[in-house]
Order: sequence, then C-alpha cells, then structure tokens
Amino acid sequence: MALTRRQFITRTGLATAGAFLGPGFFRNPFLRQALAANLDTSDRYFVVIFLDGGNDGLNTVVPLADGTSGGLRAAYEFARTAGTGGLRLLAPDLAATAIGSDMNSGTPLALHPGLVGLKHLWDAGALAAVQGCGDPVSLNFLSHEFSRGVWQTANPSAAPGYTGGWVGRYLVDAGYSGSDIPSVCIRDSVAPEFFQTTTSVLALDRLDNFGFPYDPDYDADQSAKRDAFLNLYNAASGGLQPTLNYIGAGGSSTLLASESYPALSGTYNSDRAAFSQMYDNLNTGFAGDLREIAKIIYGVKNGVSNVKARSFELSNGGYDTHSDQGTNGPNDQHYQLHRTVGDAVEVFYNDLADMGVADKLCLVVWSEFARRIGQNASGTDHGSQGPVFVIGGPTVIGSSLPGRVYGNHPNVNDAALNDDGNTMYSQAAGDPYRSTDIRDVYGTLLKHWLGVADPTPLLPVDGGDPDVNWTAPDFDLPFLA
Amino acid sequence: MGDQNTLLTLSDARHLLRRSGFGVRQDRAAKFTGMTRGAAADSLLGAKPSGFKPIGRDIENRHNSWLRYMITIRDPRTEVQEKLVVFWHDHFSTNNDKVGDPKLMANQNLLFRKFCKGNFKALVKAVNKDAAMMEFLDTVRNVKEQPNENYAREVQELFTLGVKDYNGNHNYAQEDIVQIARAFTGWDYNHIGKAVFVAGPGGEHDYTADWPDRGPKVIYKNNPQFGPGGINYAPTPSAEGALEIDAVVDAIFSHRDSDGHNTVARFITGKLFTYYAQPYPKRPTQAALKPIIDQLITASGFDTNWDLRGLLRAIFVSDAFYDPTLGATAAAAPFGAADKKSVKWPIDYVVGTLRTLNFRLRDPGQYVDGGDYAAIRDQLANMGQVLFEPPSVFGWDWETAWISSATLLARYDFARDVTSARGRGLSSFRPNTLSPALAALIKDTAADPTAIVNAVTDVLGVTDQLTSTEKSKLVSYLTDNGTNPTLDLTDYDTRNAKLNGVFALVLQSPAYQVH
Repeated sequence: MALTRRQFITRTGLATAGAFLGPGFFRNPFLRQALAANLDTSDRYFVVIFLDGGNDGLNTVVPLADGTSGGLRAAYEFARTAGTGGLRLLAPDLAATAIGSDMNSGTPLALHPGLVGLKHLWDAGALAAVQGCGDPVSLNFLSHEFSRGVWQTANPSAAPGYTGGWVGRYLVDAGYSGSDIPSVCIRDSVAPEFFQTTTSVLALDRLDNFGFPYDPDYDADQSAKRDAFLNLYNAASGGLQPTLNYIGAGGSSTLLASESYPALSGTYNSDRAAFSQMYDNLNTGFAGDLREIAKIIYGVKNGVSNVKARSFELSNGGYDTHSDQGTNGPNDQHYQLHRTVGDAVEVFYNDLADMGVADKLCLVVWSEFARRIGQNASGTDHGSQGPVFVIGGPTVIGSSLPGRVYGNHPNVNDAALNDDGNTMYSQAAGDPYRSTDIRDVYGTLLKHWLGVADPTPLLPVDGGDPDVNWTAPDFDLPFLA
Repeated sequence: MGDQNTLLTLSDARHLLRRSGFGVRQDRAAKFTGMTRGAAADSLLGAKPSGFKPIGRDIENRHNSWLRYMITIRDPRTEVQEKLVVFWHDHFSTNNDKVGDPKLMANQNLLFRKFCKGNFKALVKAVNKDAAMMEFLDTVRNVKEQPNENYAREVQELFTLGVKDYNGNHNYAQEDIVQIARAFTGWDYNHIGKAVFVAGPGGEHDYTADWPDRGPKVIYKNNPQFGPGGINYAPTPSAEGALEIDAVVDAIFSHRDSDGHNTVARFITGKLFTYYAQPYPKRPTQAALKPIIDQLITASGFDTNWDLRGLLRAIFVSDAFYDPTLGATAAAAPFGAADKKSVKWPIDYVVGTLRTLNFRLRDPGQYVDGGDYAAIRDQLANMGQVLFEPPSVFGWDWETAWISSATLLARYDFARDVTSARGRGLSSFRPNTLSPALAALIKDTAADPTAIVNAVTDVLGVTDQLTSTEKSKLVSYLTDNGTNPTLDLTDYDTRNAKLNGVFALVLQSPAYQVH
C-alpha cells in the first residue's frame, strides 16, 4: 500500500531564516575532529532510495531470452502468465530497455520498460545492477518488517553490539557529533538505516517550509522566544531522561537548521531554473523529494555556511503489489512506480552532472524484498532477495561486466525454488545461482565510497552456517570502480 | 506498592487521565484525586460504547467528523473509548489509500468502537469479515487457484500472535500461512459492505475461481503444544465458510508459546500495556516485560475470557502503570531505556491541546478556530498521523519514531497557530476563561511571572512534568531575563506577546511532547 504523501502547506511569517546565527556557530572542536574522516574530505555525496513495500525484482531486472544455461526466460514465462491479470513482460516490449547479460547463465537481461530513465543511465555508464541481494534469515519470515529491519541494520541474526542502522554506524565511525547534521532524510521521520544517537539527522519534507514558526505579529519578542526555546531544549538534551534527551537534541538542531537550510531552495530555483522545471514536469511527489536533495547538494557544493549534509535518504511507496500489479501499460501500477523513480533519478543525475558533481555521486536503490517468483491472480505475494541499483558518474561505477551486472540472476526455475516458491539464499561458492549478501554490498560501499578502510567492525559476521559463506569478505565487489 | 484500593494523588490522577484520554483538565484531575485506583478505572471504563460513526462525502470529511467528535466529547468515558478506537485503528491498520471507499472505512471505525473494550476474540472474528479489511489485505482477491496470503499472514503476525514469542521462538511457519489462506478463499462483500461467502458462481464478482478451497487444513504442526498432528481446523466439509474462518480464529487463540503460555493473550496484553503504561516501541517482545504481562493476565483472566475491559482495568490499577520503572530494565531499541516518558501521538497532542484550551474547529475548512493557517488535517499530516491513512499494514511507528525535525516543526507550527490565533476577535483562545487563576492574572497590572507559569502549566496539565529549571527558563522569558520583574497583563500587546508566548513555549517544550 502506498505511503500517504504528506502535504505541506506553504506558510507565511518565516522570513527570518539565517538571522540569528553568527558565522562562528559551527566552529566547534567536534566538527574539526570529524573533518579528518568523513565525507567532507572526499567531497562526495551518498544517496539512498528505498522502494517501500517489496519491489517485484523479477519484473525489474527481467530475463529477455534464454541464455547459455538455466533457461531463465522459459522459467520466467512459466511463472508469469500472459492475459488478464498476467504479469509477463513480453520480449518485444523489453527490447528498448535491454542491459548487459547475467555472467553466470549468459541470460540477456532488460529493465522493466518503466525504468527507461535508468536505461539511459546504463547507456551513459552510470548504472550498475547488483542482482540477488539478500540475507540468510529473511527467507524464513517473508515479512516486510523483519526483512526491512535486516536491510536497515545489516544484522540478520541480531548479533549483539551492532546498534542503530548501518549508515548510522558509519556516521558515528566518521566522527560526526552534536549538531553537525551530516545527513538529511526527505520524509517525516529519520530513516532507520540512519539511526544512531551521536549526531543529528534532519528529516524534512520541503526546505521552503523548514522555517521556525514564530508569532508573526510580535517580531520584537522573537529573540526572547528563541532563547527560551533553546534553553528548554538544551535542558532536556542535557538531562537524564533518554526520551527527553532525544527530543532535546532533535529540537535544538531543528531550530538551528531552520536558520540555514530554507534559503537553499530559493537559490537553487533561481540559479538552476531549467533543471528545477524538469522535476516539476514529472509531476510526482518523489521528483519533488529528489529535488530537495539536489538543492542541498548545490548549497554544499557552493560552500553555503552551516550546510554540510553529505548523505541523504528518500523513499517511494506502493510496492506491496499483492493485486493489480500490471505490466507495462501506462496506467499499470508497477509501471507507474518504476516510471516515477526512473524518470526522477535520471533528471537528478543529469542535474548533478550539470553541476559538475556526477562523479561525486553514489546513489543506491533498494527494497526490503523482491516478491514471489510465481504470481497470484493479478499480483505477487512476499518473497525474498532482489536487485539493488547503484548509480553514479562513469568514474564511480564499475566499467565492465561483471561490475555493471554483478551477482547472479536468481534461478527462477521451479525445480530450484524452495517450498514457498522463493529463490533460496546460498553463498556456497559452488552454487552457480548464489545470492549477493547485502553486507558485501554495504561493505563495498563503506570501503570504496564512504572511506571506511576496514568495514568489518561495522558489519556483523555470521559464523557456523556453511551456506553463509560471506565470512571472508574483501568488500571489493566490482560494481564500484 | 499498591493495589486497586490505593488512593490517587493529584499527580496520579493527571497521569491516569492523560494516558487513558486526551489531555487533562484541571477540574477533572481534581475530581479524580482521592479516588481509589479501582473506582477511577471502573468510572472510566464504565459506559457502553457510543454508536458514533464518522460522516461526510469523502475521506477528508470523515476524518474531520471523527476529529470533531474527539475534540467535543464531554464525558471522560467517551475519551477513553476514543483512545481505544485509535489503538484498534493502529492495530488493525487499514488505509483508505488502498481501500478507496470512505463508507467502508467508516463502517470499520464503528466496528472498532463497538468492540473497543469488548471481547477480543469476537473482535478478530468480526475483522475477518470487515469489508475494508477484506479490501486492504486482499481477502476479496484470495482464490483457490491463486491464493493471496496477505490476510493469512497479518492475522497472525500483526493481529494476534506476533512473529516470535517472548523467548525469540517462531510462533508459526510459512506453511501455516498457506493453510490459513485456504480458509479465506471464496469470500466477497455485497453492495452494503456485508461479507458474503461465495460458494459458487453467481456472486457479485462472478468468476469460478472464487470457489473456495475445500478440504482439511492442518496448522501448527511445528508447535510442541499440538504434537506433530497439529490442528485440523476444517475437519468436515459442513464447516466451510463462516464456520471455518471462525474456527481458524479459535485455533489461533489456542496457540501456546514456548513457555506453554497463551500466545495471543501475551501479545495483546503486552501491546495494550505498552500503549498505556510503558513506552516501549510497539510489538514488545522484551523478556523483561514477561512477569508484568503474566501478572496482568492472571489478574484479569484475559487468556480465557478475552474481556478487554477487564484487562484494561487490571492495567489501570497496577503498580506498573503508576510506576513504569517497575520491572522494565531492558533498553528499548533503537532509542531510550524504559521510563515513564511516552511520546504523545500527534492525535493526542492535537486533540489533548484543543480540549484543554476549549477550542473548536471552524467549519467548513476545519481550521483551528480563529486561526488563519493550515487546515487541521494538514497539520496532523505534517506531524505524521492522518486518521484513516496509516502508512502501512504496520500502522504508525510509536515513541521516538514520532519525533523528527519535520514532525517537531509541525508541532511547533500547531502550537504557534493555536496561541496566536486572533481571528479578528473570533478566536476561541481566551486564556481568561481557562482558570480562575489566569482570569485574576489577566486583570493584574503587575502580575507575578512565577504565578503566570504555574497557572499556564496547570491549565495544560503538565505542572508535574516540567522541572524547576525549565520553569525558571519560562520565568526568564516572561521577564526578559529579569528586565521586567512583573508584567502588566491588562495591556493587549504584553498579553499577546508574553502570555500567549509562554503558552506556545510550553506546548513546544520537550516535556509537553511526552506524557
């Protein structure tokens, strides 16, 4: 079911942004220390896009024809029927979005026709598809919540000592603290993979509305209200009660950010009007969300003071397509979901390329699981594992196979599926249909993009299970250059 | 230590009223002070559910209809009822975004009200056949040839058992979902939203695949309680249809966890206890809660009588309710250790505030009365909670998940709108009507700032919740750091800037975000 898109009403009376902070505010020792290890030094940006609800992976990276082995197209056509309620994507409709072949089976692959925007990025050398990403445990549950939790914490067996989200652990490791605001989530709450308790992650919907609401009729009382507000919030964040600590830190960083972030919007819209219009033309909330990130990156790139965010998160909802999933018709549910994300990401990439920072961008698209291989009457039930897309400039993305189509396409043959009709997780080296462990994907991102020399302390390692054979990780998957 | 005969202090009374209803008014707190815990609980839980059903041509209007009802109800027992309806709306999460029929959403809302403190097993059986739920979790699309597992999964994972028990063991297997999905084949609802069992072709959606999946269905073979034979909940063909989906619920309600305790009773008791008493994130599986949960079940007999009123009474008279540090030591993931502080839901923040300040919503736009700002539904959306539109089958995320820079700003906006709503003289924000103390201060040309702070926090019911440091910060605000030791509240601008300002600051304060 779709997340309700939240509507923000433009309000008046917020024109005081930036008036209160002297330029020295962020000149604190924590920040100086942090500069040694975080993304600022490498001048890089990291964006996470969550497809909420379990995106149907089999109709995202699709076998276009049988390859040299595996018979994956024939198996696909067995699993996905044609006709009323059928979910089969026909080969002629996939031709325009063809990408590389699966290394293991030689199967030619195509993106869902709705992902034409991503196909353009593929052609530009800016997209990698990492297939069959999953973990050893989620298959036992097929639950949104469980699987989402595993992906967000990177901790499938709940090993102790790995608190918060996987990006959150990175933020702590990189030395961010206090009110640094290293990350912004474009949503109403902090994304769980960014959870930690050391530094402030902003959640906002629209920069334009991110001003602090003072009584517009009594401007003269504003600074007294501001002082009292900060006094109350600093008392809470310095107190003993953990919930109030959290609210205290959140409120004070919100007030301070509200004085530096809103102005980014106007600057972007006037400096980059043509690109701003392209997001508007897409006419989706998601495109608007992504533009907010472009605005912030534009501010960071131009050195706007007190704007330092380098990692970002946003999501698109509606992927829980138990029914009426559709194929590639313009009004089909899954087609529209793919168009929404693919088109917006293409505009965003071109926007950043035009700013000259495409080679500073790494963007990751994930979902909590793919869906069942076999369809139901008109949709798909919960399944396991799925493809991850990694997007960035041509110097960021691996330059050739197997980098750009990494991992094995799940074996969708009936005989290879488990009792529930799911692709099994296996990391056994001898298994030609093995999955890609999400911790390998995250470890590669941490090591090769986020500058963590050794990601091992940030990622729990399972032992004992012979199938969980990722325990000698080198975190050098070739999807990144 | 106390029991049902323990007398409520003023602070206890405020706590009970805040947690069981929406906000706490001074007169009501005074009335409950000195009552026994048991008498107070009986008083709050006493009434029969009302027959209110939200009306309106679209979902926005139905939302506002329900909200208006919550803001204007006079009887504290009705507040308790509505707090429960919100709980069940979250528990049996269903959103109009997918259902697409406000009438069905309103029917479901009435169902929750009717059963809100009734028999839980009967409630689950009714939810099986609730048309909005049948749409939301695809029962109407679950057919023999191509089963749809959506409802069969969630009826166990979210509504009754939970994925794992308190010892971390799985409560059911995928095979159980498959076998339960078979029971729910062949169902549809008619034009008035009544569930019908389609035993053959000819139903409203007449496709032969709607035929039900007949035959025996065995579940819980992996549960030691039932042995390798499990439970065959559909032993005879005559038990198909309505009898069969009732039998599924009976089977689920007989489920035992790895301690041999009733799984449903522990799951629901834990969740209600969390909602009212202790601020764990939802779906509590912390082993530390087990002794309290079991004690509440023993006290109420909930694992056999399924009587929600009795269970709620047991919660409202328990020490753990009044002293939530009891028994709860495990840190709650991802933030915060167990403690008394529970983050107010947006609906609680908004309805509680408007009730304590005697506000009305102005038709037809549903703005805060006298305000010139955003419609109330948009304000709630910005805080992260629109009734009838929970974000997913999980409902809303609780506790610190309510708090982010975006949602905090939305709360600050609301506080500003309420307290600066001048509305060309039409505002119903009239502090002089809220308490005798405030009325006297507003006539005072040299009002004492400490008295102002106390009067404001009394009206808002949070006097116990602010520390002396926080109160001194508010006094400093009123005096501009001692520059003006007293305030002339007869002056229009002083009153509007400073008295309204201190109301706004309390509503925006960290302490007011929790209860």
